[in-house]
Amino acid sequence: MISALFIYSLRGELLISKNVKPTQKSMAEIFRIQVINNLDVRSPVLTLGSTTFHHIKSAGNLWIVSVSRSNADSAAIWEFLHKLSALLQAYNLDSEKDMKEEFMTCFELLDVLLEEGVPMDTEFNNVASQMSVKPAIPADAFNSFTESIANGAGFIPRSRLLKKRSSSLFSQDSIQEQHSKVPWRVSGIKYKKNEVFLNVKENISILVSKDGSILKSYVDGTVETTTHLSGMPVCRFGLNDALSVTSPFYDGSPEVVNKKAIPKAAAGSVMLEDCKFHQCVQLDKFQTDRTINFVPPDGTFELMRYHVRENLNLPFKITPIVTVSRSGSVEYRITIKSLFPGKLSAKDVQLRIPVPPETVDCNFSTSNGKCKFVAAESAIIWQFGKYLGLTENSISATAIPAKGYQMKLDKWSKPSISLTFEVLMFSNSGLVVRFFDILQKDKNYNLVKWIRYISRSGAYEVRY
Amino acid sequence: MSDQRIFSRYKAYEIRAELQQGNVKKHRASAAKRKNALKKIIANITMGFSSEMLDLFPDVLEFWRIDDNMEVKRICHQYLVAMASTKSNHFEDALRLVVGDLTSGSERLQTLALRTLAAVPLDPYADECHKAVRTILQKSSNSEKLKKTALYAILKLLNYDTTRASPLLELLYDTLSNHREGPAVRANALFILNEIQETTPMLQNFSVDFDTCADMLELLAKLNEWDSARVLDSLTGSYVPHSHSDAHHFIEKSVSQLQHNNTSVVLNAFKFVLYLTKYVDYLTERLLKQLSGSMVSLLNKPAELQFLVLRNIILLLLGKEKPVLTIDISYFFVEFNDPIYIKDTKLEILYLLAKEDNLSQILQELKEYATDIDIQMSRKAIRAIGNLTVKLEQSADECIALLIELLDFEVEYIVQEIVSVFKNVLRRYPERYELCLEKLVRFTDWVQEPESRGSMIWIITQNYSHLPNYLELFQLFANNFLDEVLEVQFVILGSAVRLFTRNPTPVTEKLCVDILKNATERIDDPDLRDRAFVYWRLLSFAQNGQNGNIGMDAAREIIDGTLPPIALNTQLDPQIVEELELNIGTIASIYLKPVNQVFRLNKPKSLPDSPALNENREPLTIIAGDSRSRSSSFIADSIQPEFRRQSSSPVKKMDDYDKPAETINPLKDRRKSSSPSLHLSRKPSMLARKLSLRRPFA
Repeated sequence: MISALFIYSLRGELLISKNVKPTQKSMAEIFRIQVINNLDVRSPVLTLGSTTFHHIKSAGNLWIVSVSRSNADSAAIWEFLHKLSALLQAYNLDSEKDMKEEFMTCFELLDVLLEEGVPMDTEFNNVASQMSVKPAIPADAFNSFTESIANGAGFIPRSRLLKKRSSSLFSQDSIQEQHSKVPWRVSGIKYKKNEVFLNVKENISILVSKDGSILKSYVDGTVETTTHLSGMPVCRFGLNDALSVTSPFYDGSPEVVNKKAIPKAAAGSVMLEDCKFHQCVQLDKFQTDRTINFVPPDGTFELMRYHVRENLNLPFKITPIVTVSRSGSVEYRITIKSLFPGKLSAKDVQLRIPVPPETVDCNFSTSNGKCKFVAAESAIIWQFGKYLGLTENSISATAIPAKGYQMKLDKWSKPSISLTFEVLMFSNSGLVVRFFDILQKDKNYNLVKWIRYISRSGAYEVRY
Repeated sequence: MSDQRIFSRYKAYEIRAELQQGNVKKHRASAAKRKNALKKIIANITMGFSSEMLDLFPDVLEFWRIDDNMEVKRICHQYLVAMASTKSNHFEDALRLVVGDLTSGSERLQTLALRTLAAVPLDPYADECHKAVRTILQKSSNSEKLKKTALYAILKLLNYDTTRASPLLELLYDTLSNHREGPAVRANALFILNEIQETTPMLQNFSVDFDTCADMLELLAKLNEWDSARVLDSLTGSYVPHSHSDAHHFIEKSVSQLQHNNTSVVLNAFKFVLYLTKYVDYLTERLLKQLSGSMVSLLNKPAELQFLVLRNIILLLLGKEKPVLTIDISYFFVEFNDPIYIKDTKLEILYLLAKEDNLSQILQELKEYATDIDIQMSRKAIRAIGNLTVKLEQSADECIALLIELLDFEVEYIVQEIVSVFKNVLRRYPERYELCLEKLVRFTDWVQEPESRGSMIWIITQNYSHLPNYLELFQLFANNFLDEVLEVQFVILGSAVRLFTRNPTPVTEKLCVDILKNATERIDDPDLRDRAFVYWRLLSFAQNGQNGNIGMDAAREIIDGTLPPIALNTQLDPQIVEELELNIGTIASIYLKPVNQVFRLNKPKSLPDSPALNENREPLTIIAGDSRSRSSSFIADSIQPEFRRQSSSPVKKMDDYDKPAETINPLKDRRKSSSPSLHLSRKPSMLARKLSLRRPFA
């Protein structure tokens, strides 16, 4: 599948070259010339003859490139490259400098991940248990899990992983005992305190047209789970997904439920347009009775990913009025109203109001928050450190052009007004975790559950 | 850490010196030094100096012998593999060491040694590898990982010497059918068999029977993501359903995999299900919805994967009159921060999906893109509007209205692009949009790029009867004939001749002759010159009319014949689509080209024959609910998605979500300026600066 794997520095210096099948030496050179040194690249894939390069750029600005000589599975290759990039980060290899020092770790990593260029296992915990080098971040921090929710609890799995590792050759190879029936979980895990952390993260994107109609609105959400559980627990997880609410539990006609749901965002149930699950979830179970059963991998993983388009809870309403005055300046009068409950508050709320590029100065008056004109970006930035629920604020601003210049609103492409925010314990989609339990006969198995909802802005845009 | 940088070029003797330095005493410091020296070897090989590093072969072997550190071993093995192509004599010595590692009892080392054996293309190595593979696969106590390595070694051995390794195929079959074997091992055996069938001349009639297929699908729950994807991939095409009910059964079994988080699993499951649908007698609405849904939810993956999914959506849309997928168009609206390749692909999908009933929504989006800051995007959007005009006859008015509206923006690149696009529009609807002409020709001075210039000239020539000042306009271009680029020169030449044949007056004749003269006497390009000669002879022949062979009418017919109607190709050849559908998720699906056009080595795939195969590829009937399922959840399932799609059509308003505010903060009276005094917060243009400087004096 993958004939060779190259990793380059940003400027195109070859740092890692792993040939699976005999590959021409010039291959690495070809990619450098055709893609890295070519400014006009418009596609993440390049085929020359029957050789194909798939490439991605890692967060640390490395080029990770796969070479394949036949009609390979592109989906697998890109998924793999992204997983590899995440693992490089976990092993602190994601920069040119580190890679040059510790390239042998990268080779070892590739040896673990690939068999003849075919990806074998990329689950972080399994990989970590086979590596002789310890990862730079604890297992819990994987999946960019940087929230303080896991404070203190983070190092338990790490210390456990460390014990198993030793670079000496004749140490007991423990792979055999580790590999249990469930490929993503090692058997014999013990915790003093059994804990589960659920993080429901949502990004809401909407686009509102000039007349206030919503052109598109959707929520991309993930449920990130951190488990510190002993043994081989089978977990059961339930959401207020409309299908599971209506079908097995309710006997009322589904239409009744949904008629209620259409006009207003209701908290009763949500429609998950479609969801994707981590490999540990028993998909056939979900198919038949819509329950989510799984044996979780140890540590942090992304349990599911979903996409919702209907019945959203919009957290903010923005009403802009933009006019051109006779003196040639542009007048803005914008109100922003939070629609989430008064008990909650949003943080880092920022409204970005674009002004015509000819603007040299702005006057404004706000009801609250900080406001400034950023000439370099041609925008007025209005910020709130904390924004309470059900609160309305307004701004009145004037964008003044250079003297003698007349603003022409119809000639200006009018970029949308955009809003960024973060609301804790609020779910844009109305998704609620209904239960999380463990099918364990043992009465002594105590479980502590933590849950957190985070709603962030994706592209929250209003045209005017 | 050593004081020297590892990742830089070294001579062989420098590294050798370093290696031997710490050799005397075997304590920690020198071990670290040796390791560094060894690392330098690998770094130098990466940088492409492997011939220099070849000199160090004996030194590497020596360390291999004395050092039992895992990292040192790993470096040694890697060195060996990197040097495999040199076939140095040292390989004989090395073989003993590799075999030593193979029997060491440490699993990691065994794996390493086995891989090395398979990777070195030398007979003695292959012999050892044969032996090792057999013993490992036959002993059931060996770990899964080692067995997998052994399986892949078979693949290597087959590539090295096909005839000698062919008995090993039996081993693969045995592993596949051995129920006591671990699931992952069996899955990989299946994958390798399929791989062999696809890439080598062997195993021409490899196929999987009903039981094995059922067995493998049962195993899916116990496999990790990569193995699942490979099982689904391998079963496509190698398992042939013999009856409709078999196919239905396996669709039921595998459809749940569409919900996986790994794109590769989803696309391979999609491929397998789609393949099976060629062998059924009906489809359920629920299945179609699941298929569409699975694609949609992949659209929040990283950009590269999104791109792949979008390309595959195009593939599925191109396929049939009634595509398998029904996806709301709003999914394909371009996001501000999409990379350019995704924007392109989304535009293409919007174009493919455009129909009379959703056109206004699409046009509104396209208008938004057309006024985007990104020039390339803007051009593409305009081009898409133009293509839509040609595609949808009934809605052409709407599209044209938008193009004219955009023209009023009077932005240079927008105008040029619209002019280019209008050529096709006017060709498609010759008599309908005369009113636009006047508006277009106002921009004659604006068009600079060859394409838009050519288009403008063509428009003027074609519609000269509606343009009173057409000669004047044409003169503008004709006068410039010698300075134009070749592409435009061709158009001018053709147009001059056509204007003359359509309207033979002394003025047009002079114009035509001037151009012909210039083209034949002052142009160096042979093609253009020849064409001018051809025109000229033809015209003089026709005018003299001596032989009566060619009259003016005949010449007109040749020069200015009726143009064939424009047909925009929105469908691929069904046979190509059929093959591509067996290659969903692969590289070929990105390029939408038949596999063996891109990859010479891959065999083309086709649907295997079976009594259940839908021979004529007739569209299948789609039944509403799933009649066979008894569970109530299925029924709810099939009803609900229906109106969730419907409910997205009525436009919602922001006000629908409004709630009364509890606190309303009133505006403060004080109006603050971003520039407290009259200092300008932004550097004004030169003109503005002059104006503001002048003010105090005025």
